[in-house]
Amino acid sequence: MPEIRVTPLGAGQDVGRSCILVSIAGKNVMLDCGMHMGFSDDRRFPDFSYITRSGRLTDFLDCVIISHFHLDHCGALPYFSEMVGYDGPIYMTQPTQAICPILLEDYRKIAVDKKGEANFFTSQMIKDCMKKVVAVHLHQTVQVDDELEIKAYYAGHVLGAAMFQIKVGSESVVYTGDYNMTPDRHLGAAWIDKCRPNLLITESTYATTIRDSKRCRERDFLKKVHETVERGGKVLIPVFALGRAQELCILLETFWERMDLKAPIYFSTGLTEKANHYYKLFIPWTNQKIRKTFVQRNMFEFKHIKAFDRAFADSPGPMVIMPGYCVQGTVGHKILSGQRKLEMEGRQVLEVKMQVEYMSFSAHADAKGIMQLVGQAEPENVLLVHGEAKKMEFLKQKIEQEFRVSCYMPANGETVTLPTSPSIPVGISLGLLKREMAQGLLPDAKKPRLLHGTLIMKDSNFRLVSSEQALKELGLAEHQLRFTCRVHLHDTRKEQEMAMRVYSHLKSVLKDHCVQHLPDGSVTVESILVQAAAHSEDPGTKVLLVSWTYQDEELGSYLTSLLKKGLPQAS
Amino acid sequence: MVPEAAVAMESTEDWLVESLRLYQDFHAFDLSGATRVLEWIGDKGILVAGYESLKKNEILHLILPLRLSVKENQGLFPERDFKVQHGGFSDRSVFDLKHVPDTRLLVTSGPPGCYLQVWQLAEDSDVIRAVSTIDVHESEGRLWPRVAVFPSVAPGILHGTRLSSLKVVDLDSQKTTYTSGVSDDDVLSSLQVLNTDTFAFCCSSGRLGLVDTRQKWAPLENLGPGPGSAGRRWCAEAGGRGPGPSIARLGSDGQLCLLDLRDLCQPVSSVQCPVSMPSPEPELLRVTWAPGLDNCLAISGFDGTVQVYDVTSWAGVGHQVEPLFTHRGHIFLDDSGMAPAPLVTTHTWHPCKPRTVLSAASDASLHVWDWVDPCASR
Repeated sequence: MPEIRVTPLGAGQDVGRSCILVSIAGKNVMLDCGMHMGFSDDRRFPDFSYITRSGRLTDFLDCVIISHFHLDHCGALPYFSEMVGYDGPIYMTQPTQAICPILLEDYRKIAVDKKGEANFFTSQMIKDCMKKVVAVHLHQTVQVDDELEIKAYYAGHVLGAAMFQIKVGSESVVYTGDYNMTPDRHLGAAWIDKCRPNLLITESTYATTIRDSKRCRERDFLKKVHETVERGGKVLIPVFALGRAQELCILLETFWERMDLKAPIYFSTGLTEKANHYYKLFIPWTNQKIRKTFVQRNMFEFKHIKAFDRAFADSPGPMVIMPGYCVQGTVGHKILSGQRKLEMEGRQVLEVKMQVEYMSFSAHADAKGIMQLVGQAEPENVLLVHGEAKKMEFLKQKIEQEFRVSCYMPANGETVTLPTSPSIPVGISLGLLKREMAQGLLPDAKKPRLLHGTLIMKDSNFRLVSSEQALKELGLAEHQLRFTCRVHLHDTRKEQEMAMRVYSHLKSVLKDHCVQHLPDGSVTVESILVQAAAHSEDPGTKVLLVSWTYQDEELGSYLTSLLKKGLPQAS
Repeated sequence: MVPEAAVAMESTEDWLVESLRLYQDFHAFDLSGATRVLEWIGDKGILVAGYESLKKNEILHLILPLRLSVKENQGLFPERDFKVQHGGFSDRSVFDLKHVPDTRLLVTSGPPGCYLQVWQLAEDSDVIRAVSTIDVHESEGRLWPRVAVFPSVAPGILHGTRLSSLKVVDLDSQKTTYTSGVSDDDVLSSLQVLNTDTFAFCCSSGRLGLVDTRQKWAPLENLGPGPGSAGRRWCAEAGGRGPGPSIARLGSDGQLCLLDLRDLCQPVSSVQCPVSMPSPEPELLRVTWAPGLDNCLAISGFDGTVQVYDVTSWAGVGHQVEPLFTHRGHIFLDDSGMAPAPLVTTHTWHPCKPRTVLSAASDASLHVWDWVDPCASR
């Protein structure tokens, strides 16, 4: 039975740690390989034992696909490929390929050097893992092997994030990863064509939310910055270089212009260089406006935003500083979690006196976004991962009603099996088609017609040809099959008379067929032969021998049952 | 100069910059369908429902973003989104929705008005299910019954399209426990339960009154402002904090009349609110008293704005008043850019945060805003 199987890996109902196993037409693909940021033991990794039970990962999996660089989608990749063991291809977009190792190394440093964790992947492992990566371009069909192909679509969300279509023959699955349906200042909105996959797998972490508008978030951000600066204070904005930084810079610059503000805005130097370098490489991944801006001038050349120098740290007066992303375990991260006392090196304790405002600019698809994407792709089925089934019954009903599709919500470790009916195209030879047409009856869409032919399967090609042509092509001789049936009838007359009576009977009943009486006494109906013979032991019983070829099976069987009913009495 | 004209020249960006000064907090959401109901459930959840006539409407139980509910350390809560706690589907338009306090039940009303639908918020899942109906023994064309709830161990549902059809039905037994018993056919526009035995009504004609259900029909009444301009419709709300008048009656031409419970016959004041035009949909008129501020009320239903007024020292008839604050967010954040501009369909005050208001408009937008009192800064 052709089917698609999907299993989200990982223990418990926890969000984060995306890792989904898909089996489609005999191919096995792993979608994402995330780390759960909340745990510091083995619970942070997906449960790979589900796969490893059946042997070597490299043999079992045809490929691994990573949707974007967030650690809850790629954080377990080096562990998986180097410590558990996988040597096959790992597909991701170019920006993801460039940024992943940076984040992985940052995380490794904190975990091992600062927290002293054991059983963690090394820097070398990260490098070795990345050697297995094959970068893909948007909308480019990539052949993983003869049968399996994948294609990446723009997902918005973060730089380089992609949704992937996985296709084998006529069966396909689309995996969204994290995506965003509303464009922001530096990224466009996710988009997919009407590819009509058998299944659409979408993250549903934010499926039951209704998002506050982007403008209101920006407004809040500017308000906090403005208020502080007006009071003569300093503002510190930890931000990830290759994402929000760009967006926030544009926002601040525009605001500063409009309000004619004078307070300096500083950007950490390291950040500027890195970001600039990467943006140059990944211009096609940002939205239209950014691209236009970049053509006109350097990405990070702003009127009001300059590189930061440590010497400025003690300058009095208002200031806005954008240092860089706060990885878990850093001082910055602790402050954002609400800690008001920090233990520094040498047992020194610092009090946090600043006001802390934690803002979220990351863009995920909410209920509305999911409905939009389903409407674009037009899948036959929808599967929601990372949500709790009980809390998504309403969304499931909404999707099922609106799009008339089935909606699944498996728990981690639970397998969903979808039956599919793949269509196999078969070419029919002209000769065969003509012969069938010559039968006279016109094709009727509502009435199936029985067609005799030979199916030739060669090199993933299917052809339906006439038997003669098949025999010719294959260089085989045709065998003739002939059936003979004995019908016993009680009749005391002689065989010749018997044959005569059979002939008259058949002639009157089978008016549409050619019934003939041959000189040797036998009767033919088309090419079927009927002969009368005496029974060897019983003179009162006559035996009719009915003989026909395989091609005349239908008529032959009919004739036999007709004769078994007996002959009419002679008038 | 009418404020709306001057304001029309500003762009969205300008308004957002302005908003930094005008609002402490501002959130804007897009629902999948416009709502004309905003009903509180506890002080952290609200209920909204669609009112389209040709398709299935959603009824949603939304939980407010956490940062709007916490009292301290608001800054540490990055979540700004509404959470859909429960959802259900209604084949009919929902024009009115009331939550039965201390239960998981809701009552909705809408055209055709021949029955009220009772719903239940599921406990083990996020679904809102239709559980029963309450018959309204008449259905007249486009009229639909207003609904209010008498909360008690055995809740009673007050409903009616006209004064003559006013009834209280026991939710469990479906028995009628009260009828108005009058033949007056004034069409109702508002119904409000005040305590276990009393309710207030207002008719489209402006006739309003307070009824004690323990007595035969003998309401404290104000028979209305008289014939006046043809087609003018009214609604009213009782409430208000502070020593002043506690009943506000709003007309579709922008007339606002304040009455005191102690003498309903004589309005305390009657003013003309500066609205650019009469309400295009008098059924959407809303006047609400602020539960956390003295002598403060809000009106909507004329255009894309919500106007807040301080009614302290309003007295007499006919003088001009200016709103203390006008919320224009629905006009400026309207992404469609198509005429007609959105119309505010309803608004409600946050039960605990004094200056926080929720408003919804015909373009399916839902705003939560905490306005800055302009007088306080002086």
